[in-house]
Amino acid sequence: MSAWRRLHVKVRRAHGLFTSRRVTEQYTWMYGPSTLGQNLSTGKPLRNDFFKELEAQLAAMRKKAADALPGSSWSPFDINPNLPPERADIVIIGGGVMGWSIAYWLKQKERVREGVKVIVVERDLTYSQASTVLSAGGIRQQFSLPENIHLSLASADFMRNINEHLGVLNEDPVDLQFNQSGYLFLASEEVAHIMEENYSTQRQVGAKVTLLSPTQLKEKFPWINTDGVALASYGLENEGWFDPWSLLNAFRRKAMSMGVIQCCGEVTDFKYTVSMMTSPGGDPVVYKRINSVKVQMPKGLEYQMVECAIVVNAAGAFSGKLAEMLGISSNPKDTIAGTPVPVEPRKRYIYVVHCPDGPGLDTPFLIDYSGMYFRREGLGGNYITGASPKEADEPDTSNLEVDHQFFEDSVWPRLAYRVPAFEKLKVTSAWAGFYDYNTFDQNGIIGDHPVINNMYFATGFSGHGLQQSPAAGRAVAELILDGNFKTLDMRGLGFRRIMAQEPILERNIL
Amino acid sequence: MLKILIPTLLLIPTSWLAKAKWLWPTTLLHSFIITLFSLAWLKNTTETNWSTLNPYMATDPLSSPLLTLTCCLLPLMILASQNHLAQDPLVRQRIYITLLVTLQLSLIMAFAATELTMFYVMFETSLIPTLILITRWGNQMERLNAGTYFLFYTLASSLPLLITLLAFQNKTGTLSLLIIQLLGPIPISPYVNIIWWTTSLLAFLVKMPLYGVHLWLPKAHVEAPIAGSMILAAVLLKLGGYGMMRLMLILSPLAKELCYPFIILALWGVLMTSSICLGQTDLKSLIAYSSVSHMGLVAAAILIQTPWGLTGALILMIAHGLTSSALFCLANTNYERTHTRTMILTRGSQMILPLMATWWLITCLANLALPPLPNLMGELIIISALLGWSWWTIIFTGAGALITATYSLYMYLMTQRGPVPNHMISMNPSHSREHLLLTLHLLPLLLLVFKPTTIWGSAY
Repeated sequence: MSAWRRLHVKVRRAHGLFTSRRVTEQYTWMYGPSTLGQNLSTGKPLRNDFFKELEAQLAAMRKKAADALPGSSWSPFDINPNLPPERADIVIIGGGVMGWSIAYWLKQKERVREGVKVIVVERDLTYSQASTVLSAGGIRQQFSLPENIHLSLASADFMRNINEHLGVLNEDPVDLQFNQSGYLFLASEEVAHIMEENYSTQRQVGAKVTLLSPTQLKEKFPWINTDGVALASYGLENEGWFDPWSLLNAFRRKAMSMGVIQCCGEVTDFKYTVSMMTSPGGDPVVYKRINSVKVQMPKGLEYQMVECAIVVNAAGAFSGKLAEMLGISSNPKDTIAGTPVPVEPRKRYIYVVHCPDGPGLDTPFLIDYSGMYFRREGLGGNYITGASPKEADEPDTSNLEVDHQFFEDSVWPRLAYRVPAFEKLKVTSAWAGFYDYNTFDQNGIIGDHPVINNMYFATGFSGHGLQQSPAAGRAVAELILDGNFKTLDMRGLGFRRIMAQEPILERNIL
Repeated sequence: MLKILIPTLLLIPTSWLAKAKWLWPTTLLHSFIITLFSLAWLKNTTETNWSTLNPYMATDPLSSPLLTLTCCLLPLMILASQNHLAQDPLVRQRIYITLLVTLQLSLIMAFAATELTMFYVMFETSLIPTLILITRWGNQMERLNAGTYFLFYTLASSLPLLITLLAFQNKTGTLSLLIIQLLGPIPISPYVNIIWWTTSLLAFLVKMPLYGVHLWLPKAHVEAPIAGSMILAAVLLKLGGYGMMRLMLILSPLAKELCYPFIILALWGVLMTSSICLGQTDLKSLIAYSSVSHMGLVAAAILIQTPWGLTGALILMIAHGLTSSALFCLANTNYERTHTRTMILTRGSQMILPLMATWWLITCLANLALPPLPNLMGELIIISALLGWSWWTIIFTGAGALITATYSLYMYLMTQRGPVPNHMISMNPSHSREHLLLTLHLLPLLLLVFKPTTIWGSAY
């Protein structure tokens, strides 16, 4: 489908072809004068668009006719129109960027129209607690695990051509505000060798990263205080930050235009069948198969049992709790069936500070070896900053209240040390969000569960889920529809490592 | 006749009085015994073709294969429904079996009727249990839409039939099939005869279904529970064919010109619906459209009114009944395990359930008309008869046969071959009940290879 889009764009862009002039003129009179080719203006069109309003006008006409005719629209079957349908092929639990990415890729790969019926269940459509929209929105390829680098690289490529993938006909184009300013990792003496090893891995996989010595660093970014820095790693391309809300909405809009049904509700229960089998070695194996998902309406007692073939757990920070509903904890801890899904929410704070004398517009997303990070936000001298707390003082996850003392104690000193200009700053706002923290090895879990036959997981990304969502969604869709990974091999991120207790640790996680 | 009807009628008290543990085995066993007795109808002893005569009902070589097929299908329906009804309360199970038996009764009386009035009444009566089956036990919200389409398509087209029958009774004084076959051409005024012809046949063309009025079929087949799909595909469609064969006796000199557009529509439908099958994602929908395609051939064959045409039509009807019902049973075994009908999610079952793959193979081969199965015999005779009528039909029938083979193989390869998805690795193994069900579908089909004269009908 993207090849067709590319061709379409080429036709529109080419001169001398039979449609070129008329098409560009058509767009110029509506959107104002613009360059040839794709129009990226996100402002409202200058004149009325006939086809966009056609749908709305037809619906208004139908409603008018129905009101004029005698009779009522009561039907004995529509108890609550917000209830999900009684059956679906694939139920995706969690309407964050990961869930909608999977929904989009499933529809993209289905080969015929309406090949699979997909429902996305999200309990809070304002996304007030969702990790996606509360994220700092960074994307980087500077990981130590090749799988992570592949995922981020593929996702960056996806986001650079976002309108080819997620553009909907006759709707505004997607604008992610992808600032490709790069990430800057600073390493102290002790960890410089790890950074070098990571650098060679990254270059091998194809990330465009470079190493900087302290002098080069000072030359490039004069506002940095290079005391204690032995080596720095700077991303030159495909790294930076973008607007997570735009990505989420783009995925959602495109997926819904392809026929994915969105349901606002909470999954409170599963109905599953249990089959007790014996492995060839003689040990009893208990397989579970989910038959239907109980979706409860928000603020009410109504529920609908959605009969489904496949369930995808993309519930983010709450995935562990969701998997518990399948009775995993009732089995002994050391068996395969009893191993819990090791994802739990961890609260992280982000503070918005205003510093008019701060570093300039080319500030990368700086990550210090002490755990502090900051990046530029907008063009008005605002910056976003935060730090990872130590394991021992993890904040309480029952709410999303911000601890400002944490900023005073842990973030500001490190920030001011690294960037002297930040000694004079003002905290304008702050928020907190959850990481879907994988307590096992802080890397994503992509794949099917060994014991629950038809549940797939795309969770536990521990802070780098948003940036990997397009590629991870594609991986899960390939797993479901093709049976195996086709473009990127993500077997290393499957459940097997958790069962075998072999963690694959990142060496520079934030 | 009564020795079949009274036991079938008494299956209703059986289903209400049997103990819970013995409900399904009892009804199954008794319906099997009824099937065995119904095989006696296949032997035709008289020269006038009508046997087992009583004032209201009789069998002849045209109706006896259909009657046996109907009686054969009841135990198969009971066998197929056993699993998905197990979690329903007992009363609902009893009601289900009662509905199946009522449907059976109305169908036996419809096929065995000697008076066209009784045929018409039973034709309409068979709609009610089917509608209840679809709308109450179907799986999705769309079943209400499906039930509405099913009911109103048939009702709207059969009301003119009632008027035609009454007018015919008025004109000729009789509606008995035994007498009608001996009457000469009926004098009707020149423009009314077109209306006469159309109204007589419209109900059956909708039931067949003919391509332009086939919209109810994919909906009804897909939304019905397994027993509903089986009886719809195997027998209810054949009611249309049977009715057409009976009624065209009284329409004879008109048929030569008026059948032209309907034959074209039927043949075009063969081509179109086969092509639609190639792009279907839903397995049951694919099988439903394949039914429309085969019945298009039958409709065309009946409309040309030659002996070979009628023979081929009857053979294909019986063979298709068994094959289509078997396909629906196979789709149901898939559905009960994975809870989805989408083909893209249920692939590679040959690795997991190899014996079921054998049944899939035989049934798909039967569907694509593999020799020496009666499917091929029927299709071949129909194609030859149509060729005799006009050389141009070979384009439609040839292309239709080609595409039929394509989508049948596509269905087999899509469900059986290919990578096994991870969520299908541990499925429940096949029940012996399912193997029995499919054997009982395919065994008659294989036996018919050796004695096709049983289903040749009276035209040969």
